[in-house]
Formats: sequence, C-alpha cells, structure tokens
Amino acid sequence: MTPSRLLSLGGVTLAGAGFVALLAVWLLGGGAVDLPWAPTLGSRLAFRVDGLAALYGLLATGIGLAVFVYARAYLPIHLAHQGRPEAHGVRLYAFLLLFLVSMVGLVTAQDVIVLFVFWDLTAIASYYLIGFDRQDERDRRAALMALLVTGASAVLLLVGVLILRDRYGTLAIDPILAAAEGDRATSTAAVLIAVAALAKSAQAPLHFWLPRAMVAPTPVSAYLHSAAMVAAGVFLLGRFHPLLREVPGLLEGLVAVGIASMAVGGVLALTRDELKQILAYSTVAQYGYVVFLLGLGTAASAAAASLYVLVHAGAKCALFLSAGAVTAATGENRLSRLGGLARPLPVLAGATGLAGAALAALPATAGFFADELFFGAALERGAAFAAVALASAALTLAYIGRFWTEIFLGARAVEADRLPALLVGPVVALAGLLLAAGFFAAPLARLARDAAETTWRAPVDVSLAYHLDARPENLLALATYALGAVLLVARRWWWPAALAAARVGERAGPERLYHGGLELLNRLSDRIHDVEVRDLRTRVAAVLVPASVLVALGVAVTGAAGVYTTGSIAADDVGLALVLSLAALAALAATFPRHHVTIALVLASGGLSLAVAYAFFGAPDVALVVVAVETMLGLALLGVFALLPRRVLRREARVPTSGRRRWRDPLVGVASAFFAFVLVWSALSRPAPDESIAAELTRLAPEAHAADVVTAVLADFRGLDTLVEITVLAVALLGVGALVRRRAA
Amino acid sequence: MTGVLTEAVARLLLAPSLILAAAILVKGYSDVGDGFTAGVVAGLAVLLQYAAFGYRRVERVLPVRAAVGVALAGLALALAVAFVPLLWGAEAVTHYPRPAEHVVHVGTVELLTAVAFDVGVFLLVLGMSVGAVDAFARAAGERREP
Repeated sequence: MTPSRLLSLGGVTLAGAGFVALLAVWLLGGGAVDLPWAPTLGSRLAFRVDGLAALYGLLATGIGLAVFVYARAYLPIHLAHQGRPEAHGVRLYAFLLLFLVSMVGLVTAQDVIVLFVFWDLTAIASYYLIGFDRQDERDRRAALMALLVTGASAVLLLVGVLILRDRYGTLAIDPILAAAEGDRATSTAAVLIAVAALAKSAQAPLHFWLPRAMVAPTPVSAYLHSAAMVAAGVFLLGRFHPLLREVPGLLEGLVAVGIASMAVGGVLALTRDELKQILAYSTVAQYGYVVFLLGLGTAASAAAASLYVLVHAGAKCALFLSAGAVTAATGENRLSRLGGLARPLPVLAGATGLAGAALAALPATAGFFADELFFGAALERGAAFAAVALASAALTLAYIGRFWTEIFLGARAVEADRLPALLVGPVVALAGLLLAAGFFAAPLARLARDAAETTWRAPVDVSLAYHLDARPENLLALATYALGAVLLVARRWWWPAALAAARVGERAGPERLYHGGLELLNRLSDRIHDVEVRDLRTRVAAVLVPASVLVALGVAVTGAAGVYTTGSIAADDVGLALVLSLAALAALAATFPRHHVTIALVLASGGLSLAVAYAFFGAPDVALVVVAVETMLGLALLGVFALLPRRVLRREARVPTSGRRRWRDPLVGVASAFFAFVLVWSALSRPAPDESIAAELTRLAPEAHAADVVTAVLADFRGLDTLVEITVLAVALLGVGALVRRRAA
Repeated sequence: MTGVLTEAVARLLLAPSLILAAAILVKGYSDVGDGFTAGVVAGLAVLLQYAAFGYRRVERVLPVRAAVGVALAGLALALAVAFVPLLWGAEAVTHYPRPAEHVVHVGTVELLTAVAFDVGVFLLVLGMSVGAVDAFARAAGERREP
C-alpha cells in the first residue's frame, strides 16, 4: 500500500473514531483531560468536551470523514489532471489530518495558550492545503493571503489572551469567563479576540481571502468552509461570548459586521460565475448570519447561531463536494458553461438540490428550523432586524437557486462522464442527514441546545417543530420564498446593479488595501536589503551603526555623571597593559596593508596577543582556546587565498577606494569603536558585586568532580548551551558538504 | 609548492599532535583544556597533512572519509548523555555520579558522564574541521585536475 493510500485510510479511521468517541463522551455528559504542561507559565494541557466543543468537534470529525472519503476518489483525478504523481497526495492527507486534529484540539481546549497554539496550527495547515497546487502562482498567492490575514489576526488573539491573563491571573478559560467584567483591560482583550475571530470567519471587511482560497482542491475547500478554519472564527466568538457581552458596544459591532457580510457575500454570490466562488461568497454571508445572531445577544439568538452552524456545515460541505464532482465529470467550473446535468447525473442533482434546499431553508430539511430560529431571534429584537433577516434569507435562496438551476436544469451544455461512487456518496449521505433532520430534529436540537448553553452560560430552550399557523416566523419564511423567487425570475432588473456593486468592491475594496500594504512592505524590505547587503562593509556597518546609535541613546538618556571612573596602573599590571597595547596596535595595523595575506597575518597577530593577555589574567583555558581558534582561522583565510586565482587577488588589492567609501568606512569604524569603548568603560567602572557568578561557579566546580572550572561550565553547568552550539556546528558541516558537492557537480 | 621539509615536519608532527589532543581531552576535567580545544588541535594536525601531502595522499593514509560520520557520532553521543536522564525523570544534562558520590579514577581520568559529553564535543569538532577541509580540498583538487 502506498503511503498516500495509507494516510488516506488513516484519515478515514481517525475521523470516524474521533466522531464516535466525541459522540459517546457528549452523550455521557462530557469529559475532561487536564495535564500539566508548562508550570512556569501556568499553562496546562486542559481539554473538555462541553456542549460547544461537542458541536464543533462532531462537525470537524464528521465532515472530516466525508471529506476524507471523497478525497480518496477525487485526489487521483485531480493529480492525474495536473500530471503529478500520486505520491503528492501524501501532503494533502497529512495536512488534512493536522487540520482535523487541531480543530478538535481548538474546540476542546480549556487553556487560552493551548487554544492559541491550535488556532495557529489551523492557519498553518490551511496554508499548505490552499497552496497544495504549488506549481500555480495564483494558488501560492491565495495561500499566502490566507496565512497573512488569519496569521496576523492570530497575533491579536495572543495579545488578547495575555491581557486576560494579566487581568484575571489565570490561563484557564472558565474562571476568566466567570469573573469577566467590563473594565478597560477586558474590553481591549475582547475587541482583539473578536477581530481575530472575524478575520478567521472571513467577515467583511476581512472577507477577501476566502474567495481566493477556493483555488484549493475541492475536499479542502469543503472542509475549510464548513467545519474547519472559517468555523473556528465563530467558534471563538461562541467560546468567549460571556466576555464579549460584558463590553459595551461590542455586540452592536458584531451585528454591524454580520449585516455587512450578509450583504457583501449575498450580492457577490449572486454575480459570480465560477461554482466555488459562488459558494465561497455564500460562506461569507452564511457566517454573517451567525455573527449577526451572536451579536443580537439573547438566549434565543445563541441557540439559533448554534443550529445555524450545524446546518450550514452539512449543506455547504455537500454543495462544495457536489461542485467538485460536477467539475470532475464535465471539466467545467463555470455556471455559464454548464446546464442540463440533471439527466446524466440524477443522483447528484437530487442530493445537491436537498443540500441547497437546506441552505435556502425550505421545509422538510433541517434548514427550515435553522431559519425559523434565525427569524425568531431577529423578531425578538425588533422589526428592523427582522427585515435584515428577511433580505439576507431571500438573497440566499436566490443565489442557491441560481446555482442549482443553472447547473442541473436547462439545455445540456456539456457532456458528463460517469462519476465514481465515492464522489457522489458523501454528498448523498450529507443530503440524507439534512433531510432526516427535517423530520427528526431532536438530536439536532439537543446538540444546538448544549452548545448554546455553553455560550449563554444559562439554560436555553430549543424546540424544533413545524407549526401550521400564521406566526411571524412562518410569515417571514413565506415572504423569503416569495422574495427569493422574484429575485430569481426578475434577474434582468437587478443584474446590472449587482455587477456594478461587485466591480466597486473590486476597485475600492479592502483587498486593494491588502495588496497595497503588501507591496509597500516589500519595497521597504528591498530598500533595507539593498543598503545592507551591497558589500561586506555595508553588512558590517548595518550591525555596528544601529548598535552605536542605541548605545548613544542609552548614554544620552541615563547621563554620564559618576558612571565613568578611572583607576591606577599598579606595577604588576604593566605587562598586561603592554600586551593589550600590542593587540590594539595589531588591530590598528590591520587597517593599512592592501595585500591580503598580510592582512590575515596581522589579524592573527592581534588575536594571539589577546591570548597572551588571557594568560596574564590567569585564564589558561581561554588562552588555549584563543590560540587554537586563531591558528585555525588564520590557516582558513590563507587556504581561501590559495584557492583564489592569483591575479584576482592582485587586482583586488590594487582597486582604489572610492570617494564616498574613503570617508564613510573610517567614520563608521571610529564611531562604533568609540561607542563600544564608552560601553565597556561604563561596565568596568561599576564596582564588582560581592558574590559574582564566577565565584559561585568556582565554588560549585569541585562538587561536580571538576578541578577545571571552564570545562565544568561547558560540559555541566551550561551543558545545554554547549549542546545547542555543537548542533549548530554539525548542521554547518552538513551545509558546507552539500554546498561544495553542489558546486562541484 | 610543498617541499621535502614540509612533508618531513608534517609527518613528524602528526603523532605528537594527536597525543597532545588526547591528553587535553582526557585531562579536561582536572586540568587546562577541554573537548573543544582538543578537537581543534587534532583538526590542525590533520589540516597540516592536507597542506603537506594533498588530499589524495592523505586519504590513502588517514580515515578522513569518515569525518562526517565522526562528527555525527559525536553529536549523537553528546545528545544521548544530555537527554537520556530525562527517561527517569531527571533534568536534561544531569551528570553521573551525582555530587558527593564516589568517582572512579583511572590515573588522572575521572569516569564521569560529563567527560563522555566532552568526548562528544571533541569528536564533533574534529569531524567538523576535517570534514570541511576535506570537502574544500576535494572540490579545489577536482576542479584543477578533472
């Protein structure tokens, strides 16, 4: 069995086993794991399956199972289409697995640091998955965009949770939420966390990365949009909802973002031609629903948000998988080139229709209940909110209707191949679940209730049933169907307006800001790079000059009074002083000769005089090392000169110093030497502490069975440092070997 | 470029240099010197052979092809000494015998895990310097006489 197939099988097994395990733990009333991890930070590996974790965890594993099964059939087609070997699939499966595991870790985490780690892992996994077709520049750019937007906002999450730790003195989520107050620190943290969540959930104005990310292979898109990544954002809002509620104005902000996303996503989804683009903008709009609901801030809205996430995940995953199947069968991915596929692909058409119906909230599917709760929660807050809900639900119906009818109805536009069962099976299974939940909604209701109770921290009532009366929710649903149908039929009237809106978004939208910012950063980095690495001298100056400026600033700020003292030279110091002046002279002398070998020899003489100085100080170990290293270094320099052609060296030695460099280099050298001198002088002027570290180490050395303190420090007291250093040496050796062999080849 | 004198000196110095390096290494815990210095000294001795005889003749006499392996073995030894104590819950880089326990002496050599660690450093530094020199000498030699 190839590694690719093995991993795929492992993914199916793990997702399935994870689903069953999570289901069992949830039905048995939850469970928790708590292990010590980083005691000095106060961080623990604490995980718990509560209502919210059960909902998102079951989604991540359940949808993950469908995605893994689907990928087994889809990926070989995808890779063959691009002429890539099957072994490339290993990367996809491996990162999908990482994605799955980090999602489950994220939703069950009970410690903010652990939560952050898993949050970032999802971003990393999505980067590799979106950029899976790495030979394609568009894919690489999309992956980078997703990573930058969600990764940069992840930093906000980290800052937010650290502020919370500062304020509440714990890293555990539950105590923080229980003690949450609306003070300034909490508000700052809450806003930061909310922004991170909204960027992850692709909410306006940070939504632009998600439609780009649809370049990923279909199983990845399906997973990303329904149960992972994007879902992680609204999960975070649900997890920290008690905290967000304490901050005045924040929930209103969420409502505004939700409405904006519903509008942007809905209108753009109506105008797109590419199948996955339509679905991607639809995702922006659908998570806009959830953010809007969480912003309404009532028990009913928390329940509606939970149920909505559930239904949306199933429906959106099915739709993505179906879009991928359609493309696999026909080779087309645009609505305008598809049509009439209901006849050759009846099963797929039926299943996709069911999933679309669930998303569009038609009765007899779970989607109807989701929209009923959605309308109910909006109505509770007033007519204006209900109008918003109505408008976005109608938009949803319109673009899903357009999606389905233009693929499956109308005149046959393309030929369709027979599809393998594994490409259709997951769509049918998900559609079947959505249909079944339209009649037996109790399990769904229980899951949504448990999740809402975690979010709301109080009992929440969720009852799902059909009511054949004229209650406002039913009227709103009927109005949605009517309005959506009108939109679908009267396309001619609004089409130009919607296109214009889309174009304005492209011209002046936040994506331009992203590109502009990226370009600016790139240019700045290029400029610094140009200055820094023009030649060896500028590279050295790039370190020395900023260091000197920092020292100068330090001196300016702290003042010089009393910091600089002078001592006297005793009779037995004369030898040391002489040797040191010899080293200084050698250093100075090294700046004059032009002949390379002479420079190397003079430099070595400086180093060796320092060795003598160490010997005077009674540090024979250091002196020995200096002698050995200086010898090695001098020989290495001479060896390099021997390898270079003689005439190159001669020519280089004769090149006159250019006018600018004649002043710049000495200036940089003298200035940095001066500030280094100032720094060393102030350090030496301080009275030595009574029990210095050196004395401590000398006292400890005999206990470590060592007569030689330096060796004891290297091998024992600071053994870990030595270990890291020699590891670097080993890596350098391997690098040298590879480099030389490559040059020789 | 190299004359008879250089060759004679190089041949004469090899064994004493290696013995010096060994002395620096084994006496590391009781006297001046440590694995790093010993490695550099031994490396210099081999480097001198390269300068005097060229890489082809050195390779015939000395096992320099094993340099990278020696370096990695040294790293492995140091890593093992550092991290094996984690297995029974001690901290990384815990050396045995512990303070105040009895240490077996063989002449000036103390039988300590810290000394083994130092031997690892020695092997790595020796392998590193010989390996780098060998790589460059080979590349330069093969370019001159393809």
